[in-house]
Amino acid sequence: MEENVKLEKENCPVSPSVDSDQQDNEERALSVFASEKNEDLTALVLVLIVTFFVLLFTKWLA
Amino acid sequence: MASSDLGRPSNVPVWILSGLLLLYGALVASGALTPMLKALHVHKQVDLMEILGFTFGGIGILTAMLRSTRMNKPMTNLDTFVLETIPGILFIVMLAMGIRWIAEPIVVMMSKSLVPVLGFKIHKVLNLNYVVLGILVGIIITNSWGIPKFAASGVKTARFVLKMGVILLGARYSFAELAKLGMVSVWMIGFFVLGTVFFVLFLGKVFKQPKSMTGVLSAGMGVCGVSATVACAPVVKARCSEMAYTIGTILGFGILCMFAFPTIGKIVGMNATQFGAWAGTGILNSAQVAAACLAFNAVDIKTLKVGEIFNITRVLFLPIIVLVLASWYGKAAGQKLSFKEVVIDKFPIFIIGFLLLFAMSSFGLFSPPGHYKGKYLDFSYNQRTEVTPEELVVLKNAKLEGLTPEEQAAYNDLVKQHQIAGNFEDRDNKDMFDATARKRMAGLESILAREKGKEITISSDVKSAVKHAVKQVHKKSKTIVTLTDAMVWFFAYGLIGLGMQITRKSIAQAGGWPLVMGAISGVTKATLSFIVVMYFVKDVVLK
Repeated sequence: MEENVKLEKENCPVSPSVDSDQQDNEERALSVFASEKNEDLTALVLVLIVTFFVLLFTKWLA
Repeated sequence: MASSDLGRPSNVPVWILSGLLLLYGALVASGALTPMLKALHVHKQVDLMEILGFTFGGIGILTAMLRSTRMNKPMTNLDTFVLETIPGILFIVMLAMGIRWIAEPIVVMMSKSLVPVLGFKIHKVLNLNYVVLGILVGIIITNSWGIPKFAASGVKTARFVLKMGVILLGARYSFAELAKLGMVSVWMIGFFVLGTVFFVLFLGKVFKQPKSMTGVLSAGMGVCGVSATVACAPVVKARCSEMAYTIGTILGFGILCMFAFPTIGKIVGMNATQFGAWAGTGILNSAQVAAACLAFNAVDIKTLKVGEIFNITRVLFLPIIVLVLASWYGKAAGQKLSFKEVVIDKFPIFIIGFLLLFAMSSFGLFSPPGHYKGKYLDFSYNQRTEVTPEELVVLKNAKLEGLTPEEQAAYNDLVKQHQIAGNFEDRDNKDMFDATARKRMAGLESILAREKGKEITISSDVKSAVKHAVKQVHKKSKTIVTLTDAMVWFFAYGLIGLGMQITRKSIAQAGGWPLVMGAISGVTKATLSFIVVMYFVKDVVLK
């Protein structure tokens, strides 16, 4: 995490107040996604794909 | 942001990780590792080892090749979201494989070898499974060497993968579980779940704790441990350290309960059902509920069954708790939220996913609708579910003494029908047929449990035949077993990533207050549920 934050600091030099806000937010919500909605939707879609393949191989084709 | 256009992390670690994963897959496929895997009791998962090794190794090689062509070029979305994220994903996957297939089995083996000295399995008491090991490994890496530069971006996928685990959790339960409980029990569970949540929120206010900490702890203490903590954390914007603290508090409190509950239950003379209801309400972690129930009464199977059903029913309150916390957090942050805003705008989509899979599971898409964690009973006549001819001879010739009338009737019917089933003449009425069969199965299970508790003596041949008959009607849905495996992997991955985001500083910031609040709310819940169980739950809870 510290390494991560250090990396962010090196890469995105910003003013101290914005920096601390950003650091705080990042620790609360480290995510590669632009928004929480995107993250949730992607998780749901991936799970449905996984579920479809599991059903396919363990039930419908088994 | 994954990295910058000023310079990307080196490609060398990606090549090394991919090479190691491919090598592992090849070694497993060639059989070179089989003796070691057998020693660790993980050899049955060889197929999955090959799939994970080759798939992630292949993805790694492809990523490394693409990354090398894009070095010193401006970052695009492909770089940020895919190419710079995959190295970290590979790193965590490798750690998860190490934990699931090496660290966890070694801990179990060491714990078993310590049984003669300690008298109990320490890994069960301390709950040293992949959940705890994953978080610990993550914390150790972050606070010793630090997260490797190449993996920094991948660690940010942890919360996303944990959400996938929570969605899959819905597949394990079905509405039939709720229907099995009487209305009084459902009200009781609901009262304690919501009561604990509000009580912890109140304690948070009294002790002036951060809203995020209080919110996530209330969910963990009210519903049940790890999954509730993970599910509610995004709603209250909890930090990773707060989630870890909550999980630690729940497991720590559970360890105390595991020892205290059976002793108290015996002192006050609770019956099997009362203790099951108390343990299922007061203790949070399901493994710890099972341990406490068995410690209280290993003979009467009703204790464990009631404990388990009280425990798992709490999970079904998860969506309600998410709604409550979303509304509370919005209000606490000074926003005035209408009902529509809470239910439609603030309700997390991944919890809708949990409900979707729960609905699919309840309608019987994965397994017959009455299943519990993919396990269900099938009493239909089938030659394959009969006991073997040799076992039948043993059962016919055995003279059993000390059986109750129900046990004797169940035993006699097993000899008559060669399998556990209802009455042949009732075969067109499935409900009646299954009810009779269930009663007979309970009779046979009771024989086995009383033999284990040394109340009656039966020969090992008879015991093995009865066990076989009971096993034959217990079916497992392959679909739910596979989905559960996927869920366990998602949780293992997510918890390692979560551990990696916990620094010493953040642990120090949280202080000891979560432990204090957890202990106060846990003891209050245990005391209140004790009083309710003693006065209101007499015997029949299950329908």
